[in-house]
Amino acid sequence: MTNAQVYYATNLLVYAGVDIIACLALNLQFGLSGIVNFSFIVFQAVGAYTAAVLSMPPDSANGAFQTYVGGLQLPFPIPWIGGAIAGGLLAIPVGLVVLRRLRPDYQAIALLVLSVIANTVITNAVPLLNGAAGIALVPPPLSDQFDPNTINYQYFFVGLTAIGVVLAALVASRIVNSPYGRSLRAMREHEIAATAIGKNPVQLKMTVFIVGGLIAGLSGAILVGFIQVWAPSVWLYPETIILFAAIIVGGRGNNIGAILGALLVPVGFEEVTRLLVKLNIGPPGLIPALEWVAIGLLIIGFLWFRPDGVRPEARRVFEGAPIPEDVANAG
Amino acid sequence: MPAEGPILVATDIHRHFEGMRAVDGVSIEVPRGQITGLIGPNGAGKSTFLAVIAGTLPTSSGTIVFDGETITHLPAYARARRGLVRTFQLPSEFARLTVLENLLVAAPHNRGDSLFGALMGKGYWIKDERRLVEQARGLLKRFGMTAKESDYAGTMSGGQKRLIEIMRALMLGPRLLLLDEPMSGVHPSVVQEIQYYLQDLRREGLTILMVEHELHMVERLCDSVIVMAQGKVIGSGTMASLRKQREIVDAYLVG
Repeated sequence: MTNAQVYYATNLLVYAGVDIIACLALNLQFGLSGIVNFSFIVFQAVGAYTAAVLSMPPDSANGAFQTYVGGLQLPFPIPWIGGAIAGGLLAIPVGLVVLRRLRPDYQAIALLVLSVIANTVITNAVPLLNGAAGIALVPPPLSDQFDPNTINYQYFFVGLTAIGVVLAALVASRIVNSPYGRSLRAMREHEIAATAIGKNPVQLKMTVFIVGGLIAGLSGAILVGFIQVWAPSVWLYPETIILFAAIIVGGRGNNIGAILGALLVPVGFEEVTRLLVKLNIGPPGLIPALEWVAIGLLIIGFLWFRPDGVRPEARRVFEGAPIPEDVANAG
Repeated sequence: MPAEGPILVATDIHRHFEGMRAVDGVSIEVPRGQITGLIGPNGAGKSTFLAVIAGTLPTSSGTIVFDGETITHLPAYARARRGLVRTFQLPSEFARLTVLENLLVAAPHNRGDSLFGALMGKGYWIKDERRLVEQARGLLKRFGMTAKESDYAGTMSGGQKRLIEIMRALMLGPRLLLLDEPMSGVHPSVVQEIQYYLQDLRREGLTILMVEHELHMVERLCDSVIVMAQGKVIGSGTMASLRKQREIVDAYLVG
């Protein structure tokens, strides 16, 4: 492989990893628990910003060309852990306001509005995180020990991302396959009936919202360490819609579906359209604009023709369950 | 004395919806180990009253004492955990959970049923899970639904969904079961079946308060009956004694 190909491949792998982590988190909230978190991307963003300002030098560095809070220059992996914690912490006030009293459809609207508000505030409150220009020169993990501009560092970063994926997948699979996950699914199916059998829906929603926030924060921390910049334009609310499309296409409520969805939509689908741009079809900007049309059609198409996605949630058959033939013979 | 006397005492319960008095000063006592019927014409406030007792709807005023404990302000889930468990008039199964899972999910005391327990992994909760699977399969066998354990509850018939809901409630080990028209929308042959199961549960000492329309059913099943009309209790006693009371017959028992 040429260097360019290696860079392309490692770049794709890191993005795939970040999208998989994000989709696993969103699947816990939306696929498993039925929480329509239209502000999901905010949790990724808060993880990214936190990891950035934890790892960067004070904003007086580099001729003070940007302004931001923090600048603590903490060593890896503290920025990543901090990013994850920030995502989880943000979930607490948001969850307490949105998930306690509102009906699910209004929860979705409130969360969408929150996403727009958060983006507007960060764009305009320049001293906080450098506004619309965003923050740049975010140091990659361990860049003081390895030269980040080498092929080997690219491989190293893929490895770091893989650790994040494994961690997120472990947490997600333990939750999905546990009695706690079953309670979340019951709440998703019929909240009032779940309450009638002793489930506290606020507690269930808050816990899974916080876990989802933690994992989303981690995905942002990983991404900002790789692309080294972070600005309001990368976490506009439609980014959340792409992740929802991934979950719907992949299959709600199961982790394999979430991973498949991440590979099919944010990675595969966007990669294809990016290649199409290079073909110079039509006026400039046509293909990126059509991409949104295609994402919309993809969601509607799947909800219409294959609502359970490519890989539907599996029916759980317990050990020792009667096989239909046995029952027929016995009867 | 919690262990004796009525298991549930509701005093002067009101439930108002924007001026409409759905439940208007109802006081009842539910005796232990019996099936108590709650009857009355449409719109009498029976289902609303049941929902207030279960905590699904908040009380506008009044007090509810369950087995010696005042539960008026407890949320529905906390009442369910104390053994005051309701079912619903409309099917309320967890459609995309299997029949067995519908039962398992209701079981208290599963170490894996918390975020912490889930993150600890299967080894932490598998013992509880095995015990509960066994318990749930026992119920499925008793209610003749063993063959359906791995089917999605959403694919079951109306009658089977009723049975699932009753079994699900039983998984909580209820001290008082509130049934909201358990026979509605159920095929007549299954009605017989449900009736049989309820009598069986009563023989085992389970206390039941049920809203029911079908008077023959009430007569066969219920030890005593409470009659509601327009949000108030207008009479109570055995079915036979109620038939002799003129105003009740006028209000409900005859057309």
